[in-house]
Amino acid sequence: MIKKDLSVDFLGVHFENPFLLSSSPVDNCYEMCAKAFDEGWGGVVFKTIGPKHFVVDEVSPRFDELTKEGTPFVGFKNMEQIAEHSLEENLHDLKQLKENYPNKIVIASIMGTNEQDWEELAQLVTEAKADMIEMNLSCPQMTSHEMGSDVGTNPELVKKYCAAVKRGSDLPMMAKMTPNITDMIPAAKASLAGGAEGIATINTVKSISNIDLDKRVALPIVNGKSSISGFSGKAVKPIALRFIQQLRVAAGLEQLPISGIGGIETWQDAAEFILLGATTLQVTTSVMQYGYRIVEDMKNGLMHYMEDQGVDHLSELIGSANKNIVPAEDLDRDYKVYPKIDWDKCIGCGRCYVSCFDGAHQAITWDPKTRRPSVDTSKCVGCHLCNLVCPVGAITTGEKVMKPGRKGNAEDKQVESVRLTHF
Amino acid sequence: MTKNYETEAPGYTMTTVMEEAARCLLCHDAPCSQMCPAHTDPGKFIRSVRFRNLKGAAETVRENNAMGAICARVCPTEKYCELACSRTGIDKPIDIGGIQRFVTDFEQQSEMDILKKGEANGKSIAIVGSGPAGLQTATTMLERGYAVDIYEKSEKAGGYLTYGIPEYRLPADIVDYEIKRIINLGAKIHYNVTIGKDMMMDELKANNDAVIVAVGASEAKVLPMFEGNQYVESAVDFLARVKEANGNIKDLPTSAIVIGGGDVAMDVATTLKRLNVEHVTDVTYEQFDEFRASKKELEGTQRVGVTIVDGYVPDSIEGNAVTFKARNMDSKLTIKAEKVILAIGQQVNADNLGINIEHGVVPYAGYKTDDPKVFVTGDIAQGDQTVVWAVRKGKEVADLIDSELMGVQNND
Ligand SMILES: Cc1cc2nc3c(=O)[nH]c(=O)nc-3n(C[C@H](O)[C@H](O)[C@H](O)COP(=O)(O)OP(=O)(O)OC[C@H]3O[C@@H](n4cnc5c(N)ncnc54)[C@H](O)[C@@H]3O)c2cc1C
Ligand SMILES: Cc1cc2nc3c(=O)[nH]c(=O)nc-3n(C[C@H](O)[C@H](O)[C@H](O)COP(=O)(O)O)c2cc1C
Ligand code: SF4
Ligand code: SF4
Ligand code: SF4
Repeated sequence: MIKKDLSVDFLGVHFENPFLLSSSPVDNCYEMCAKAFDEGWGGVVFKTIGPKHFVVDEVSPRFDELTKEGTPFVGFKNMEQIAEHSLEENLHDLKQLKENYPNKIVIASIMGTNEQDWEELAQLVTEAKADMIEMNLSCPQMTSHEMGSDVGTNPELVKKYCAAVKRGSDLPMMAKMTPNITDMIPAAKASLAGGAEGIATINTVKSISNIDLDKRVALPIVNGKSSISGFSGKAVKPIALRFIQQLRVAAGLEQLPISGIGGIETWQDAAEFILLGATTLQVTTSVMQYGYRIVEDMKNGLMHYMEDQGVDHLSELIGSANKNIVPAEDLDRDYKVYPKIDWDKCIGCGRCYVSCFDGAHQAITWDPKTRRPSVDTSKCVGCHLCNLVCPVGAITTGEKVMKPGRKGNAEDKQVESVRLTHF
Repeated sequence: MTKNYETEAPGYTMTTVMEEAARCLLCHDAPCSQMCPAHTDPGKFIRSVRFRNLKGAAETVRENNAMGAICARVCPTEKYCELACSRTGIDKPIDIGGIQRFVTDFEQQSEMDILKKGEANGKSIAIVGSGPAGLQTATTMLERGYAVDIYEKSEKAGGYLTYGIPEYRLPADIVDYEIKRIINLGAKIHYNVTIGKDMMMDELKANNDAVIVAVGASEAKVLPMFEGNQYVESAVDFLARVKEANGNIKDLPTSAIVIGGGDVAMDVATTLKRLNVEHVTDVTYEQFDEFRASKKELEGTQRVGVTIVDGYVPDSIEGNAVTFKARNMDSKLTIKAEKVILAIGQQVNADNLGINIEHGVVPYAGYKTDDPKVFVTGDIAQGDQTVVWAVRKGKEVADLIDSELMGVQNND
């Protein structure tokens, strides 16, 4: 089996690998974290610990999923708040984890309602020997408006509470940001101004996943009613990647240390977050669906990827894709590329024809006798919808041409990519 | 003409393998993995495919099974991994063999070099026979740092992989690639050397720390009534001839009788059909409800149009007319064909090897013989007589010898 060094340094702390359980029910107690460590996770962000006076009282049931065709868990909706275990139990577990797993990283996630709470919690988890603190400024379904994403969308409060945590502890600290905001940069900058050394993102996205059509209530149904609450899993990955990219290219935030979260399930997802600038990676939903064992393939696959890319340290990859994501106005709009259809691979389903007619530019002509499509270049705009719907990968990028009146050599334009489903 | 014979059924593409892997329930304590005789760990490699880690999947297959690409094609999966598959509770088992084939094809295409030779420990072993059991034993011993010499009586290595299982089920390219991998790892194969004839056991014992006998059941059984009949050929001789000539044999009949109801008989009957022999009748001792051949093979045989007559035993032969007697009825049946192929089983030739064989196997469980330096494995050791069991027995005998010679216990 391949062996590669997956270790990373993040906020001055050394991680044997970048894979962490994100704060959630997957790391609720000692036994869970211990099992996860045994199965290869590099660290945990322990389930968010709140102040003693805030009583957590959860609903039942509390989850729902978005499906598409036969695929479960395309996205996952939860209505959970923070740790249900007592403060004492949680502090005890943190301490014991660090004692029994000195080489694994234990990060305490905390959440207060006021400056005093934040400061006290920071102090307590420091005494419990946590390696790092994550401030949960982002849970979208708290029963108190003084907590969670209502705080995280308010830069002033963010800065104040970060400073409070810094007063209570000298541990390295990251602020966990909510995606329920148009622009994350002000909140991120406010947290850095308050003393945070890095950013963790994203927490869940406010959502309604499904409606029971007879009862006319959203799911899950809690005694006849439901609420808007956080969405996670594969479906939120694009949202997470977008925020991370925006943070990493914002003026003044270059090289910002980021712990990436949102829909990570495979080594490919992990590599995407790393290429956009995440140093550590946090996971919940895919662990809830499949268990801790998924880390085996994430680690092994990432090692093979490093080998293929010829790198010995993940640090060589972090953020290396940021520069290739530019504002829409800076993209090359001088050429187009036509699809190329391989008639030997084509099985004659006609899906490209349907999609091009109904969803694009009526540029595919269909021969009903031979059941083969052809591209009419006088109509084709080069959008490549056909490529995405073809079930056998028969459609690839073909001839490249300059738009009328534009200068340049079409052959030099780089558009090829091996689609994940067809490699 | 021989295209039919040469062409293996197409395998999965990236899209279709993901569809199949998506059917897998990713079971806790995967039953499929428990039921693989060689511990190839399908539960784990399918999970790797599912999570898009094809290289990791290849590592799991290869590190557990030196014949991974072969097992993927020839394992009677319905008796092993797929028999246990939880998905059967919904519809039908996961196509584990098919996924394994995709993974090992990927391994070959991306030229992965997964097996690593162990640091030399100064000890050497000799293996008699280069069938799957000998090859797996060699692999495990090389990984543990032993020097390995294999002695093979034929011109090519592989045993029945090379000289038995037909091309359309197991392409020679695949077998050659698996063998090359093991040669690259450091196995020295000495071809055209029959131990007990060209070279004696005493010499092997004198020059090695252990000798492993893996000679398989490489000779055909014949019934007295068929001896010396010019129309009769044994199944394994016929299959070896066809495979060596890649289907281009000259004396093809237009009609043939195949006698026997196991996988070997199915292979002969199907091969004849694929070579365009018009009339092929297979007569079996077993009735359909007690069939020994795997379902996959039986179905394949029926699909190509072989006539199967079940529940009859050969009674007499006159020229090329064979008369059969029904087992459970008072009835006789005479069939005449240009060729009669006997697939009634194989037997062991252990001449001068100093090993006691009864009914095709050693009369004791395990791999030790009376001679502390000599071990047996493969088809002549007790257990199933399949490729995947040959792999299991190869790993187990290697573990045993390693722990005896090095005084360590390896349990993987
Ligand atoms: C036609 C046919 C189809 C089969 N299909 C399947 C299938 O689909 N799936 C499956 O799992 N199994 C199948 N089997 C069974 C499988 O091939 C055997 O179980 C397996 O090959 C046994 O491996 P082995 O290494 O013990 O012996 P073998 O494969 O028999 O190899 C023994 C080797 O030892 C060599 N040898 C013998 N004597 C000497 C000597 N004195 N000196 C030197 N070398 C010697 C032989 O030449 C041979 O190369 C099939 C068998 C046959 C005949
Ligand atoms: C059931 C559930 C409970 C969660 N609880 C917390 C929490 O206590 N604190 C926190 O910071 N984030 C919490 N989260 C958010 C996750 O840590 C993570 O940010 C989010 O789910 C996105 O990652 P994923 O797609 O890998 O699940 C929770 C998520 C889920 C699904
Ligand atoms: S998952 Fe476990 S805790 Fe949750 S409802 Fe089912 S049995 Fe109860
Ligand atoms: S979608 Fe693909 S397979 Fe279907 S008709 Fe178009 S090119 Fe052919
Ligand atoms: S038993 Fe079947 S469903 Fe379960 S892990 Fe194995 S292949 Fe998948």
